[in-house]
Amino acid sequence: MEMVKRAFLLVTVVSGAWGADFSLAIGNPVAVARPNGVVKKDIGFAVRGENCADVAAIQVAGTAEGVVDGARRSIPLRLIAGETAGTFAISHDWPQQGTWVVSLTGHCGNATASAVVPIGRSGFIRESSKFFPRAATAAEVESALKTLTGGGK
Amino acid sequence: MNQPQDKPPIGPMEPGDLPLVKAPDSIWISIETTLDAKPEPRGIGTFRWQWAAASLAVIGAVSWYAMRPSPPSWAVSTLEGSPSVDKIKVGEWLQTDASSRARITVGSIGTVDIEPNTRVRLVAASPTEHRLTLARGEISATVTAPPRLFLVDTPASTAVDLGCAYKMKTDESGDGVLRVTSGWVSLEWEGRESLVPAGADCRTRSRTGPGTPYFADAPEALQEALAAFDFRGGGPDALATVLNQARVRDTLTLWHLLSRVDPADRVGVFNRMVDLVPLPSGVSREKALQLDSATLKSWREELAWKW
Repeated sequence: MEMVKRAFLLVTVVSGAWGADFSLAIGNPVAVARPNGVVKKDIGFAVRGENCADVAAIQVAGTAEGVVDGARRSIPLRLIAGETAGTFAISHDWPQQGTWVVSLTGHCGNATASAVVPIGRSGFIRESSKFFPRAATAAEVESALKTLTGGGK
Repeated sequence: MNQPQDKPPIGPMEPGDLPLVKAPDSIWISIETTLDAKPEPRGIGTFRWQWAAASLAVIGAVSWYAMRPSPPSWAVSTLEGSPSVDKIKVGEWLQTDASSRARITVGSIGTVDIEPNTRVRLVAASPTEHRLTLARGEISATVTAPPRLFLVDTPASTAVDLGCAYKMKTDESGDGVLRVTSGWVSLEWEGRESLVPAGADCRTRSRTGPGTPYFADAPEALQEALAAFDFRGGGPDALATVLNQARVRDTLTLWHLLSRVDPADRVGVFNRMVDLVPLPSGVSREKALQLDSATLKSWREELAWKW
């Protein structure tokens, strides 16, 4: 039993070291495109991984999910590494027309976190963004898109 | 008539007393010789050299004039109204009327849209500086360039591009507003600097310069109180309203106010900031209150994740 406890403790410690609490945070584009700093890009917003022991190993990928003239579309997004490890600028690769949410998935070792970020006329809508300690499901993405299409900002 | 004497006479002379002296013959010979002499004809070779030199000088002047480098200029295209110019040179003004809009192509780094009733002047167009003066009216700039390459002067501010897109409006006194839609803009004037990120506005006033930046969706009460604080000596009451109305993302405004309020009020601003967003690890309270520049910079970079 003692061995089991120790094994469990070891697994817990290891998971913590890799990022059991790993999460994604989003911010204003200038959080990455700092004054007198990063090369200018057309940035939608910034994202970073948090609670990861090895920030340099954080990987984030994303797509823009939208509806344009009634047609469902999905666009892979470019992420530009920021000056600080673990931070990224999300390139504004989706068009102005239509309704869009950005779906992001991040990895810190074996830990996964995600964010679904609605996009409004003035940019990303922080208050409506949802964060998950796992990959977001397709249903969660569609739900966010449907809410935005119906309520719009 | 008196005979000539060896020495000149002394004293006044009576008319008729001056002696006559004959000129030597050599003088007359010299005069006659000179009168009889003909001018020497110029050589044909000398004339040709002079003509060639003059021709070369003329040709050189014409060539220089034709081939001289043109003053730097930017292309101008018409967006609305009647076209009247296709480019603007350094030192020249461009003015739109009530029904015209134009677009200036800023070298290879971006564009500036000139709205109706706007007057701008091209000040510099060099590899190290692209600069306009906005005397009055409104412009929209979209620039992709290294920071601090593109600048716009108004009567009460200089907008320094840090990699951005923005709209700027001013009247002839300098009263106006900047709205940033992408990236950052540094609004500077006589030692006062406001860093304005995407989604935020900043007013300018004549004789004061740039105010304190605020997000465009900030509560109206905050915006009004901030204007009173910045430009009408609103004092503690205005400051209290700003602090009370501030949301998490309004720490942009509060961060700027830290260095603009009286020292006695600084703790209040600091406390409100940390109420909204906990102080990041690595940012010292003491140094922040002392306005340590490195500390404020680190704090701003962390706050930007909440803006």
